[in-house]
Amino acid sequence: MFRLQGSKVLAVDMTGDAVKAKNGSMVAYDGQMTFKKLSGGGEGLRGMVTRRLTGEQMTVMEVKGQGTCWFADRASEINLVGLRGDTLYVEAGNLLATDAGLRTGTTFTGLRGAAQGNGLFTTTVEGHGQAAITSDGPAVVLRVSPQYPLIVDPGAYVAHQGNVRQSFQSGVTFRTLLGEGGGEAFQIRFEGDGLVYVQPSERNTIAGDL
Amino acid sequence: MSTYGTPGAGPVVHDPMTLPVDDNVNKYTFCVELKGGQWFLQKGKMIAYYGSIDFNGIGHGRLDRLVRTSFHSPLHASDWVVAEGSGKMLLADRAFDVNSYDLDDGNLTIRAGNLLAFQPSLALKQSIVPGFLTLIGTGKFVAASNGPVVFMEPPIRVDPQALVGWADCPSPCHHYDHGYLTGVLGGLRAMTGLGGVSGEEHQFEFAGAGTVLLQSSETLMAEAATGAVPPEPGVPGGGGTAPGGYGPQSSGAPRLPGQLGDLQRRFGL
Repeated sequence: MFRLQGSKVLAVDMTGDAVKAKNGSMVAYDGQMTFKKLSGGGEGLRGMVTRRLTGEQMTVMEVKGQGTCWFADRASEINLVGLRGDTLYVEAGNLLATDAGLRTGTTFTGLRGAAQGNGLFTTTVEGHGQAAITSDGPAVVLRVSPQYPLIVDPGAYVAHQGNVRQSFQSGVTFRTLLGEGGGEAFQIRFEGDGLVYVQPSERNTIAGDL
Repeated sequence: MSTYGTPGAGPVVHDPMTLPVDDNVNKYTFCVELKGGQWFLQKGKMIAYYGSIDFNGIGHGRLDRLVRTSFHSPLHASDWVVAEGSGKMLLADRAFDVNSYDLDDGNLTIRAGNLLAFQPSLALKQSIVPGFLTLIGTGKFVAASNGPVVFMEPPIRVDPQALVGWADCPSPCHHYDHGYLTGVLGGLRAMTGLGGVSGEEHQFEFAGAGTVLLQSSETLMAEAATGAVPPEPGVPGGGGTAPGGYGPQSSGAPRLPGQLGDLQRRFGL
């Protein structure tokens, strides 16, 4: 059972079950816990090879036991995501913890990842259960529905879930090259049905200032 | 309807219907509604939007008229963009606190790096105080601060790092605690830090009627260029004797919109 203690600490109550969490993110626990590094994020040999090949590195530990375990990551804000059979797409660096029952994997994101500067691949989490993702400042959850597509700055994008198509749109014109661009040269457009998590801060991206 | 974010489960989910109109979504995110209108915003502070909104650099020819009427410091025009269209737009700045302020036929001077966005019914001008911008008129603007903003009444002396801006105060000036700074011992203290410097010997002093805005931390936001002022005698910050520490604005010749921009600054060189 995941719950937030404050906005920057995740408390997980466990009764003999397990969670997967980012390596080294435990800050305290009571009760009996065992921590085991999961090679390849528990995705098996194939997952390990995929992660190595795609550069979407994720070091994960499995925490198992009885009691409460607290997790935190560099005082960043934590957001809980409930999954009911759908898929969460998140950058490996922003994934703090998942229920052990959730499957994680890697997927191709295309140009969006390139514009964010974190590679062409992203991490997927699917199944039934809860996941915790981190963001710089509390994330705003925005709904994408067929009549309301959403456009997001690549630097502020954290994660999305659901049945969403993403396309890349560019506002680069000759003005950008003259140094008179609109400041939002690259954008990701989300269409379909789902949720997008956006943080109130922009990472440095290749096109951050154009 | 969507199956995601059913009430009572997980975080609040926003859609274009539930997003506030020209108000904060949370402490760090501000939502602006555009209905065919325009807003000025600092480059790169938009994090997401619904609807169709265009972002144009201020050098855009079509916007010349707007820039002439409500943007009186054309010399730093390229740090600002105009958002126009219809929809809802979210603004945020490096997870700093964001707040909106209403001016009713008033004036307010603000540190250039703190101002995020403003309505074109306000006129933006460079302040005589280097590194600050003045907004005049009626309308709404959005500013970021490191920690919540506190409003104080003059007479007051404030720490230079905590100052965000001031409204209606006629006389911002420097104040030094001379007991600490004069004499041989005072000089030694100031230079070496031996014998106890409090680090608070220098303040900004405000007198008269008005309001002073302070942030609740002494961490400065990154400076934003306010543009060069004309190099005339008598203009603070103008001419060859520009004080250091104000970045690009002390770099000499004024820059006009449409001119080949500060590419090296854009690329962080």
